[in-house]
Amino acid sequence: MPDLYIFKAQVGMFDPVALQNHNVRIHYVQATYYRKVDFLEGIPPFQCVNLGALAAVTPSGRVNIVNLEMADNEFGLWRWYPIDDAQIRLYHPAGIAKYQLRNLQVPVDMNILFRDPNLVSTEIAVWQNNRPAAEAINGHAFALGAVRLIAIGYRFHTVDLESGKDADPELVNAIKVGKAPCTDVWCSGRGIGD
Amino acid sequence: MLLANKEGIVVTGPVVPLVPGGAATSLLVFAIPVLVGQLVGVKSVKIRKVILHNNAAGNTTVLIGNGAVGVGIPVLLPALDSLNGLTDSYYADADFPEVESFANIVAWTPAVAGTIDIQLEVAVIG
Repeated sequence: MPDLYIFKAQVGMFDPVALQNHNVRIHYVQATYYRKVDFLEGIPPFQCVNLGALAAVTPSGRVNIVNLEMADNEFGLWRWYPIDDAQIRLYHPAGIAKYQLRNLQVPVDMNILFRDPNLVSTEIAVWQNNRPAAEAINGHAFALGAVRLIAIGYRFHTVDLESGKDADPELVNAIKVGKAPCTDVWCSGRGIGD
Repeated sequence: MLLANKEGIVVTGPVVPLVPGGAATSLLVFAIPVLVGQLVGVKSVKIRKVILHNNAAGNTTVLIGNGAVGVGIPVLLPALDSLNGLTDSYYADADFPEVESFANIVAWTPAVAGTIDIQLEVAVIG
């Protein structure tokens, strides 16, 4: 069994969380889905969103990152970083703060490349079209021409183990009682106290 | 992953002979790449190097901005000296700060005679 799990950090690589025929348990807010991966591919780094030009000392509105949406039955695994000097607050989905502590929603800025070169702490997963959203904060005394985010990751196509032609109730039960291997994939944040 | 901390693809612009006349005669020296059909990606550029060759234009200056051609301003950098008949080179980090532009870059000179050849090297971000 490959040593695969979320938030994995190592030098020089960003591993997928699952390979072909691996079981995954997708968590989206309070919902849980039992699936099996039947295809995966890497997605090279790309500019996934431009949150727009931003005046000095100003926060932006919340912008949905539609380019990180996945097709039906698919989830994406993403790490990301900004290439413009703003602080980014992530929401996933748009109504739930990500990286949320009791007293602070932790932002991500360009320093992430120095402080967390693997970007492991930025890792998120996106289930189907349940995309994240982001806000930018420009703390400078000058305007920013753009606030761009780069994402890198993996695309996973899955089959449903709970219903349909690939249903396998015995396997699902085995996963639930811990007798079959499965990787948990959290595809959203969670509200405080939720 | 150990991503590079400095982004940017380094490319050079064309050699452009600046003519006398100030900002009203400003010319395009680097165009932001906007590929037709480009899927995603807002590009910007950071100026890395500026080289000037003065063709008997006298001791003068060259200004670099990102306004429209023929308008020039706003300026991106203080005036760069260009000495009569000589070649001058200016480098980011050493001679000027690493300015970034999201609009095409133009240049002009207040010289009253001759031309000044200018070429930029920039890092394209985005």
